[in-house]
This record gives sequence, C-alpha cells and structure tokens, in this order.
Amino acid sequence: MTNLNVATRRLPVLRDLAVQLVIRDLKLRYRRTIVGLAWSFAFPVGQVIVLSFIFTLVLPTKVGKYSAFVSIGVLVWTWFQSSLVMASTAITGNRELVRRPGFPSSVLPVSVVGTNLILFLMAFPAMVLVVLYDGGRPGLSVSALPLVIAVQFLLTLGISYLVASLNVKFRDTQQMVTLLLLLFFFLTPIFYDTASVPAAYRWLYELNPFVVLLDAYRVTLLHGGIPNLLGLAEVAVLGAAMAVLGHVLFRRASYAFAEEV
Amino acid sequence: MGRVTVETVSKRYRYRTHGRVNSRMIDLRLSPRGDDFWALRDITFQVGPGQMLGIVGPNGAGKSTLLRLVGGVGRPNSGSIRVSGKIGSLLELGSDFHPELTGRENVILSGVIAGLTRREVVARMEEIVDFAELRDFIDSPVRVYSSGMLLRLGFSVAVHTDPEILLIDEVLAVGDQSFRAKCLSRVEALRRRGCAILLVTHDTSLAVRMCDQAIWLHKGRIIEIGPADEVVSAYITSMDWETRRRTPVDWQTGLMDDGTQLRMMENRFGSMELQVTDVRLLDGMGHRCRRLQRGEQLRVEIDYVADEAVPAPNFGVVIRQENNTVLFDETMPAAQLGLVTVQGPGGIALNFDRLDLNAGEYHIDVGVYRHDWSYAYDYHWRVYPLTILATTEVKGAVNPPHAWERALPRIVGGS
Repeated sequence: MTNLNVATRRLPVLRDLAVQLVIRDLKLRYRRTIVGLAWSFAFPVGQVIVLSFIFTLVLPTKVGKYSAFVSIGVLVWTWFQSSLVMASTAITGNRELVRRPGFPSSVLPVSVVGTNLILFLMAFPAMVLVVLYDGGRPGLSVSALPLVIAVQFLLTLGISYLVASLNVKFRDTQQMVTLLLLLFFFLTPIFYDTASVPAAYRWLYELNPFVVLLDAYRVTLLHGGIPNLLGLAEVAVLGAAMAVLGHVLFRRASYAFAEEV
Repeated sequence: MGRVTVETVSKRYRYRTHGRVNSRMIDLRLSPRGDDFWALRDITFQVGPGQMLGIVGPNGAGKSTLLRLVGGVGRPNSGSIRVSGKIGSLLELGSDFHPELTGRENVILSGVIAGLTRREVVARMEEIVDFAELRDFIDSPVRVYSSGMLLRLGFSVAVHTDPEILLIDEVLAVGDQSFRAKCLSRVEALRRRGCAILLVTHDTSLAVRMCDQAIWLHKGRIIEIGPADEVVSAYITSMDWETRRRTPVDWQTGLMDDGTQLRMMENRFGSMELQVTDVRLLDGMGHRCRRLQRGEQLRVEIDYVADEAVPAPNFGVVIRQENNTVLFDETMPAAQLGLVTVQGPGGIALNFDRLDLNAGEYHIDVGVYRHDWSYAYDYHWRVYPLTILATTEVKGAVNPPHAWERALPRIVGGS
C-alpha cells in the first residue's frame, strides 16, 4: 500500500472515531441524571443570570443590551473553558484507549473540543433568542460566524493538545489550567467591554485572542456590523499555528503516554 | 498481508520515586534519576503473513512489553520495529467498553476504536452479535453483563475488524470450552487469510498446537527461538528444573491413606508452598477405587492446603501409561473457577464421564503449579495407580464403545 492509500483509508476512520467519541461523551455525560444534558447549560445560564443582576442592578454598567452582551461572552467562553478542563484529562483519563495498540491518541483532544462545540451550538439558538429579546439586531454579517467558530476551534484545539500532553508528565497542569481559566475569565471581556480597560494597558490586554473573537461574535449578533477582519485574520493565523504546533508536540510526546498514564 | 520485523530491540524502564513525598515536597527535576531496568534486550525476530509466533516465558520476562511495543504503544530505546498492516489486538478485552452504554453502542464504539469506519461496523453488527452469542442482551447496558459475556463481546469485535497483524495476550484461556474452541478456530482462520499473529501464553500446549515459531523470553532476553515444539519443550524442561531446584529435600516423607509413601525428589516435586494433602480416585458410586471397568466414571478429588496465601494456582491431572506415555493432560487455572488467592485448606475435583482406556495399568499424576507456570507447588508423580479392566481385548491405548457391522458400498461413478 502506498502512503496515499493509507491516508485515504485512514481519514474516514479517524473522522468516524472522533465522531463516535463525541457521541459517547454526550450520551454518557449526564446519563442517569434527571435533567440530563440540560446540566451543561445550567452553569452558563446561572452565570448569565447572576452577572446580569449584578451589572444592571447592583453595579450598573454603561454597556447596552447587557443580558445579550453577557450571554454571548459567557457562552463563547464556556466552550473554550470546558474544552481545556476536559482536555487536561483527555489522555490521563483514557488510559485503556491510550494503551491500546494502534489507537491514535491525537484524536482525543479533537473529540473533546468537538463535544464542547456541539454543546455550544446547541445553546446557540437560546442565545440568539436572548439577543433578539434584548433588542439586538443581527445582520447579514452573521454569515461570517462559521469562520469565527472555525478559528476558535483551531485555537482551542492547539491549546488542548498542549494541555493534554503536558498533563501526562506533570499532573500539576490540571490545577494550573483551572487557575488560569479562572484568572482569564476576569482578564477577558466577558462581562465588561474592552473599552473599559484603561488605554495604557490596552495593548497588553488585546494580546488575548478572545478580545477579537468575542468582539466578532458581538458585532455581528448585536449590531449586524462587520467584525475586525484584520484582527480575525491574525487570530486565524495564530489558531492555525497553535493547532499545528500543539499537534506536533503532542505527537512527539505521545510515545511516552502509554508508560506514563 | 501483515508483517512484523523486530530488530535488536531494547527497552529500558526507569523506576522513579515519583509521587512519593520524601525529603523534597516538590520534585521539579525533569528526568529524576532512578534505577534502570531493562525490560527487553536485543530482541530480533520476524513474523510474516500467515505465521504465528508464540511467546513463552515466566512472568516479568517482558512478553507483554514486547507485544505493546509491536503495537506501537511506547517506543524502544534502541533497535527498530517495522510493522506493515492493520493492527488488531486481543489484550484487555472489553476494556474500552463503557458500562452505561448498550452492547450495540459499545460494539460501534469499540469497532471504530479498532480502526473500522462506522459503516463497516454496522455492516458486521449481526455477525459480531451472533459470534458473541449475545443476541438477547445486545440492547442492554453492558453493566449487566457477566465478565464472560464482556469477554465474548470484546473478542467478537476484535476478530471482526480484519486485522492484518494480531496481538494476543493470554485471552484465549478465557470463556467456556466451546467458546474457547470457537475463538481458536477464528484465530486460525485469520491466520490462513494472511494475518501475522503474535501469541503470548502460559499455556504451553496451546503454543505448540497453534504456533509455527516460538520465542522463549527470560528477563528480557531471548533464550531460544525456533520451531514452536522445540522452544516450548526446552522451556518446559527449564520449568521442571526450576521445580526441582525449589523442592525441599529435607521435607518429611508423606504417607498417603493407602500406605504409599511420598518421597521428595522421587515421586514428589515442588516448592511445597501449597501441598496436596489427599488425592482420591472415586468410581461412579463415590467409592475409592484402584480398578475400573472400561467406560466407567472416574472422579479425581484433590485436597490441598496452603500455609501462606498464594495467588490462584493451576491444577493439573495427567494419565500415564506404565511406560510413561502421557495419554491425557489437562490443566485448570483456579482463577477460572473464581479463586483469587488460596490460603488454608481447599479442594478441587475433575470428573470423567467415562474413561475409555484400554485394559492395562495406568498412573494418575496430580500437580499444582504457580499461577504463571514457572514451577510446581506440589507434583505427585506415579503415586496413584489405576487398573482398567476390559472384557473385550483391543490393541492400542483407547477402547471406546465400538461394534462391527456389514455395510453397503457407496457406488462411485457407476452406471
């Protein structure tokens, strides 16, 4: 068999494998609970309600359409956050798969990010309802959202690869990821807007790719405006680079997985 | 067509004091020093399409490590492993099953994990379910399955994934007799189709029966490689040697109920960590016997006692002719009877529905072996005589019920 043959035979297998792992995750996640999959949405919904309460009634902010604004922020962030939390144990928690001859471990982070993408997409219509109810005016530019989602997918996948392989050798990673995600929840314009950040720190603050990503979601969904295309292009390059880098480092580390898990 | 080529492969493991809180609370060294341990040294062999290689050796010899390296799990420190063909494995069967998913859902998942597309798994679903004999349970969550059912399903999925290289670790020893036979013939069929097979087993007779070549591993090195029967018999001889080495010569001479003496190194061998305290040959009425009519029932009861706990051992019964030729040799891992460890007194029995031996003098040998077969705990050699009486005289070793009659010829190609 030539390499090309192997690759063309391999690709559908990998695709099916990733899909089946996603289905397994979704099926199992809340099996034998009463509300089932709804639990996935309990956290973002709870966050949105509390944040809306605080920043419209307790500490009123000047950000308009706040419920819609914060819903987008929380939901987009939840996809990223849950992916990384799950990715940190994607290898260490799947010992029996990783130690299986012929099993392509690199499919595990993909399935993790994919699972959370599905949850994100499932919550998306509800988010759009909140946006419409709150007076948002999505425009034709929402057609750019699949692209934004793709960029976020790549970026998240790249970081997931790093986190997953790092946690095999250093179980500290898991704790570190939880801590960093908590800190970045506050350092990302999720419940406030970038304009509130003092100009002196803005350059540093805007290194966070989620500034551009969240802005793209909000501009299109709330105002029907055109997102910052240059910024998106930069994040896309960054995302692609992260995905490739993460994958390469993951592959290199993966030979040791079986002995370390 | 599968092929595996292993050249001068060595694998080193490092024991690390990881995760232990000792003098330092936080260990930041990237590669902590530890004791090296060579799991494999200079291993070279080849398995071509349609060939089956047996790997024998005591526990800790590196058999499973070798299998995993061939499977691409981990990388050798030196040497090369070339594998061409799709790898399938019979290791830790059913370990990828999820208890909350149904049998059917697990088959899909497991098949895809083994390298099939979803469509391919679905196309084989019925075949897989039938092979596992689980039609009635396939839509129940596998948490309600017995361990035997899980193994059957795991095996069935694994052998239906068109492997070109198959890695087997011990699993053929599981399941009931008829399923086991089915598994073996399925493995044989895969081999005939050009699958290259590596078989790790403690069952030396299985290795001889199924493999063309074998390697005997000991502490990570190949002691012998060659035709399976030669390698295995060399290995068995060494186990005998190990048993003799461990046999305490100053052990007191035992006296069986019938006055037979058990003398160490004469008719009794073994480490005595577990001792056979009584062996009873019982006829169909449950009476002790030394002679049986041809075709009668025989029950061999073995009492034993282990002073210290030992892992579930293997029991064996052998029937020999007067000239030492083995006519029957059957072993049973106690683990298959649900034992995990053995301590204190216990008993086990082997029932023959009928014994169709020819008239003559025989001996029943009884042996109990360590779980990894590395040596015997207690082996009684030619201690229990048995005389078979027969009214009809035949030549040869066996004398099953038989009768002559006239028969019609089958006309071939006649007008």
